[in-house]
Amino acid sequence: MVARKRKRAERDAESLPSPPGYSAIPIKFSEKQQACHYLYVREHRVREGTNSAWPQKRTLFVLNVPPYCTEGCLSRLLSPCGSVQSVELQEKPDLTESPKEPVSKFFHPKPVPGFQVAYVVFQKPSGVSAALALRGPLLVSTESHPVKTGVHKWISEYADSVLDPEALRAEVDTFMEAYDKKIAEEEAKAKEEEGVPDEEGWVKVTRRGRRSALPRTELASLRVLEREKRKRAHKELLNFYAWQHRETKMEHLAQLRKKFEEDKQRIELMRAQRKFRPF
Amino acid sequence: MGPAPAGAAGDPEVMEPTLEGTGKEGKKVSSKKRTVAESPAEGLLQPVKLNRAELYKEPTSEELNRLRETESLFHSSLLRLQVEELLKEVRLSEKKKERIDAFLREVNQRILRVPSIPETELMDQTWLPAGVRVPLHQVPFTVKGCFRFLPPVQVTVVGSYLLGTCIRPDINVDVALTMPREILQDKDGLNQRYFRKRALYLAHLAHHLARDPLFGSVRFSYNNGCHLKPSLLLRPQGRDERLVTVRLHPCPPPDFFRPCRLLPTKNNVRSAWYQGQSPPGDGSPEPPTPHYNTWVLQDTALESHVQLLSAVLGSAPGLKDGVALLKVWLRQRELDKGLGGFSGFLVSMLVTFLGSTRKIHTTMSSYQVLRSVLQFLATTDLTVNGISLCLSSDPSLPALADFHQAFPVVFLDSSGRLNLCADVTASTYHQVQHEARLSMALLDSKADDGFQLLLMTPKPMVRAFDHILHLRPLSRLQAACHRLKLWSELQDYGGDYVSAALGPLTTLLEQGLGSRLHLLAHSRPPVPEWDISQDPPKHRDSGSLTLGLLLSPEGLTSVLEMGPEADQPEAADFRQFWGSRSELRRFQDGAIREAVVWEAASMAQKRLIPQQVVTHLLALHADIPDTCVHYVGGFLDALIQGLKETSSTGEEALAAAVRCYDDLSHLLWGLEGLPLTVSAVQGVHPVLRYTEVFPPTPIWPAYSFYERLRERASLVPRPNKPCPAYVEPMTVVCHLEGSGQWPQDAEAVRRVRAAFQLRLAEILTQQHGLQCRATATHTDVLKDGFVFRVRVAYQREPQILREIRSPEGMISLRDTPASLHLERDTKQLPLLTSALHGLQQQHSAFSGVARLAKRWVRAQLLGEGLSDESLDLVAAALFLHPEPFSPPSSPQVGFLRFLYLVSTFDWKNNPLIVNLNNELTVEEQVEIRSGFLAARTRLPVMVIITPQDRKSSVWTQDGPSAQILRQLVVLAAEALPVLEKQLMDPWGPGDIRTVFRPPLDIYDVLIHLSPRHIPRHRQAVDSPAASFCRGLFSEPRPSLLMPVLGYDPPQFYLAQLREAFGDLALFFYDQHGGKVIGVLWKPTSFQPQPFKASSTKGRMVVSQGGELVMVPNVEAILEDFAVLGEGLVQNVEARSERWTV
Repeated sequence: MVARKRKRAERDAESLPSPPGYSAIPIKFSEKQQACHYLYVREHRVREGTNSAWPQKRTLFVLNVPPYCTEGCLSRLLSPCGSVQSVELQEKPDLTESPKEPVSKFFHPKPVPGFQVAYVVFQKPSGVSAALALRGPLLVSTESHPVKTGVHKWISEYADSVLDPEALRAEVDTFMEAYDKKIAEEEAKAKEEEGVPDEEGWVKVTRRGRRSALPRTELASLRVLEREKRKRAHKELLNFYAWQHRETKMEHLAQLRKKFEEDKQRIELMRAQRKFRPF
Repeated sequence: MGPAPAGAAGDPEVMEPTLEGTGKEGKKVSSKKRTVAESPAEGLLQPVKLNRAELYKEPTSEELNRLRETESLFHSSLLRLQVEELLKEVRLSEKKKERIDAFLREVNQRILRVPSIPETELMDQTWLPAGVRVPLHQVPFTVKGCFRFLPPVQVTVVGSYLLGTCIRPDINVDVALTMPREILQDKDGLNQRYFRKRALYLAHLAHHLARDPLFGSVRFSYNNGCHLKPSLLLRPQGRDERLVTVRLHPCPPPDFFRPCRLLPTKNNVRSAWYQGQSPPGDGSPEPPTPHYNTWVLQDTALESHVQLLSAVLGSAPGLKDGVALLKVWLRQRELDKGLGGFSGFLVSMLVTFLGSTRKIHTTMSSYQVLRSVLQFLATTDLTVNGISLCLSSDPSLPALADFHQAFPVVFLDSSGRLNLCADVTASTYHQVQHEARLSMALLDSKADDGFQLLLMTPKPMVRAFDHILHLRPLSRLQAACHRLKLWSELQDYGGDYVSAALGPLTTLLEQGLGSRLHLLAHSRPPVPEWDISQDPPKHRDSGSLTLGLLLSPEGLTSVLEMGPEADQPEAADFRQFWGSRSELRRFQDGAIREAVVWEAASMAQKRLIPQQVVTHLLALHADIPDTCVHYVGGFLDALIQGLKETSSTGEEALAAAVRCYDDLSHLLWGLEGLPLTVSAVQGVHPVLRYTEVFPPTPIWPAYSFYERLRERASLVPRPNKPCPAYVEPMTVVCHLEGSGQWPQDAEAVRRVRAAFQLRLAEILTQQHGLQCRATATHTDVLKDGFVFRVRVAYQREPQILREIRSPEGMISLRDTPASLHLERDTKQLPLLTSALHGLQQQHSAFSGVARLAKRWVRAQLLGEGLSDESLDLVAAALFLHPEPFSPPSSPQVGFLRFLYLVSTFDWKNNPLIVNLNNELTVEEQVEIRSGFLAARTRLPVMVIITPQDRKSSVWTQDGPSAQILRQLVVLAAEALPVLEKQLMDPWGPGDIRTVFRPPLDIYDVLIHLSPRHIPRHRQAVDSPAASFCRGLFSEPRPSLLMPVLGYDPPQFYLAQLREAFGDLALFFYDQHGGKVIGVLWKPTSFQPQPFKASSTKGRMVVSQGGELVMVPNVEAILEDFAVLGEGLVQNVEARSERWTV
């Protein structure tokens, strides 16, 4: 224990080691804790030409956010560096456009958080550089802003999980209205195209028309092949010619040999494992 | 079903200590390791690949012959190979034979060189040197006659060694010493005189041979357990000590005894002598002494038997091998040892008999011999129709009926005067018959690996019988003999009251247990060995007498023993038999009858009625008080009993929940006002298949204990109170009919489903006044204190989730995790639940077994790795595929077999096929097995196949991992012997809960939890005397608010830990009231790694040797453990320094 403490003291004395391009900010839950986790932060940059949802220069990319640290916390902790526009926590670093539409809390319950990564967008680029120079340690839960964990958190989560059925009903209704409209449009469009040749003169045959075609599914095509095969097998004569007879016999023998080889292997294995000692 | 390879299943490190011990075994370890290492791909079978040329080459005539022979003489080529291997293993090698022969020659010389002594009175034993005692209880001591020692006139090897049918280990060579005629006198057959002389003869021999350095040990033992016939055991000196045991049997010169004096109807032990009184003057006839006579006759027939056997077996290797197989079969079933055991000699004689009746031919293979003998045993009843090897029709020979009068089982030898089965009790014979019947059924079924089950699986008593009872001390049996008036039997058995009482006792119990009993078996008194300087062990020293009860499940349900009508003459017998328990009762049909009623309300108590019967009858008729009867049948019941009840193991509570579910499903069927009708209601929760460890009880919450959410009609736990009682909603799947109205888009289907959930809640509240709460995926319904979680399902939804549209517009179906998950929950799980529900109706012990098994796995902190369903299926396999046992009728024996199955099953090379409802044909099973090998690498480590799930083993897809399975196998292998020992020796120290306590020293970190926030605290294996109030009333009250559902802080905590630290550590916890979470660091994640943005979770960067690497930030993580579980965690105890980096 003593050795470990000394080690930590040494570590604190020199500047915190951090991977190239990143700087490390110690973070801990509250004053009471001894050891820190380290946030590894850097400016969010992408290669030329790739799209990114996050604004260049103003976005701070944060690794290793502990599970008890929420978006709100992070925003509060980083606000001394400059006013924070938005904080987004994600499970993995993600360069593509994140889904912007709000997800329904009824149909996509919030997952249990682990260690996450965060994209923090500041109002001004100066916020990013100020954050990179932060020395910490940051405290997630303070007297003025306590963060709930453990039993208190579970109780409040349980209370939140008891949902309002009316809100759910309203959400379902709006979604279904939009969905019905979309389907109706699609159908109308399909009806319009029905039997109308395109510019090269091709006519699209669909299931809905008067002469419906086979559904275009893998299953259907497999079924057709199967039927063909059965038809062919039905016509074939078995054990009719002498060579056929000979071949069936040979096939039987081959089967026996194969089985014998398999059995031998099995026995070999069992012998190796001393499975033949009865007592 | 085959036992797992020792090296493959168990950790080699773990296995090693057990292999040490004796020097001989220690030496073998190295060779064993080598062979295991050589086996292909660490004990995994590979699919065979043969090239075309090899497969289709012209067959040689030799090959064709072998194939034909296999087809006609054996069941399959695999069986033939297996049998050959087994015989190789048990047969004596030529090299050893030579060594034994050399030893025998030496023995022969030494015996002939033993000096003779002058004649003395029999009672004058002063000539005996100090270091040797007479190996016989000389009671009564007075006997007339003289004794002198002369070297034997002939020393002959008799028995299995000569015939080549002896099997390893424990090679015994029987040597008959023909005593010279001068030693014996007229009338030596009378009053144990012959046996006294025989014992003295051995004592003198022992004294001289013990001084010889050739012998490593010289000891006495009883020949086949018979107390009048000791034999001398000689073992070689030095490294050959365990090679062979030579047993010396003195026998009379041929034709010394007149056979007609030794018929079963004759008396050779005079009452006057035995009881030490003057002869009663009333001239009453002396009682016959059939067993005594037989023991004398056996000595005279040693040589003729060997001649007969060698004439039959000598030239037929198939028969010899067959006898060896039968011996293995008997020994696996513990039938061949002790007095009255069904010994190898008896089986050899049986083979001879079948040969003489042309049922066995000398050209038969060993497998065919085994089959024929089993067939014969299974279909004939020697207790009614005895058999005889005697061919002559001499009218002077006694009739078979005479023998039936004297002995329970009759099998006469070729002289027609000796009953070979004289010592075999009816119970032992019935047990043999029962085993033969089971084995025949197994051989005929062809589905399983018959060889393994028949010849390689041991069947110890505690695992074969549903209930076991021990009688101890054995001296009580002496009183029992007097109570049962067995004086003449005692006289016959030479005072061996254990053997004398055995037959009458078993008959008594069989009669009393009646329809509850399928089979009653008794352990045979073991054959002790003792040093020549000691007195022979007393009858009461042979441990305890153990009886095994195989119960018949049909008879167990009744609490009534119906007797005859009161005015009939049999009524008196009935009253006499049951004593004070018998009472007059008037029945519904008006009859007034004698009857016995047992008190038993629950299934668990009904299962233990045999205990009441046994203790009552033993006390009443045999004077054995219940303190001497130790009944082992319900010791494990305590582990699945509810918190407050001690009378039931929960079957009734489960049935109540199921009844409530039935009511609910009726309501759902009859609902009006749903846009689509209900097409099916199926239960999926373990309660609804009777396998929930602790059945739910109706709950009546005390509102003051909770926070109330008025507008949602729900209760919420309060932070300042202890955690409320855990209520798990029972899931029910409710299928709605298919319709064109359902959308064909996954997201839209979910919305429609949510709408149905809302509507369902509304209608149930309106029409039936039930308290309901709907969410997007389920509706919780409170009914009679039980909470059900109704999930609406749409049959085509998995299909929709599976559709993938290729760029060309072709729709193909591909399994996705979401579709598989949904299919499992709404299709396969209901099928499984209903199949297991059906199984419970057939086998009432299923519930208990499955729950004990689950309880044990969870108590070992492995519950998370093994899904509920997979454990249920393993338990179901014990009932559907009980071979070589019969289906268990008590939780205890089922649990033992569960441990055995788990610890010995070769999960690597075999799928566990659970043939629910018998839907799989034999051919299909064969196909599954062969398909399994080809697909092995793609399948999970533990594969369980059911008729509904023939390929993928859905219930083990998500675990266990290989490590967890290995840990399970190791734990089961350790638990089984401990538990069996405790059950077989109930007087020994130890607590039945020992095997349910997990080893905690293997974990790196222990997180201790506070009982205040463990809702199921009282369910713990060592249940606390007191726990916290959980906010429940014990009386029914109207409940308007939804109780707190599924609120289990330890589970929430574990979910958080696993999410945050899952790639650094494994977490183990017992959901039934565990107070400790065990944490194992994963060694691989503690290797320093180069920095990667995607794997920084919980790690930190340190410089090591000038390089920046990432290591887990252990100190911070340990503090996180406490932070995340604030309020729940008491302390975090880091136990190992393995993580210091």
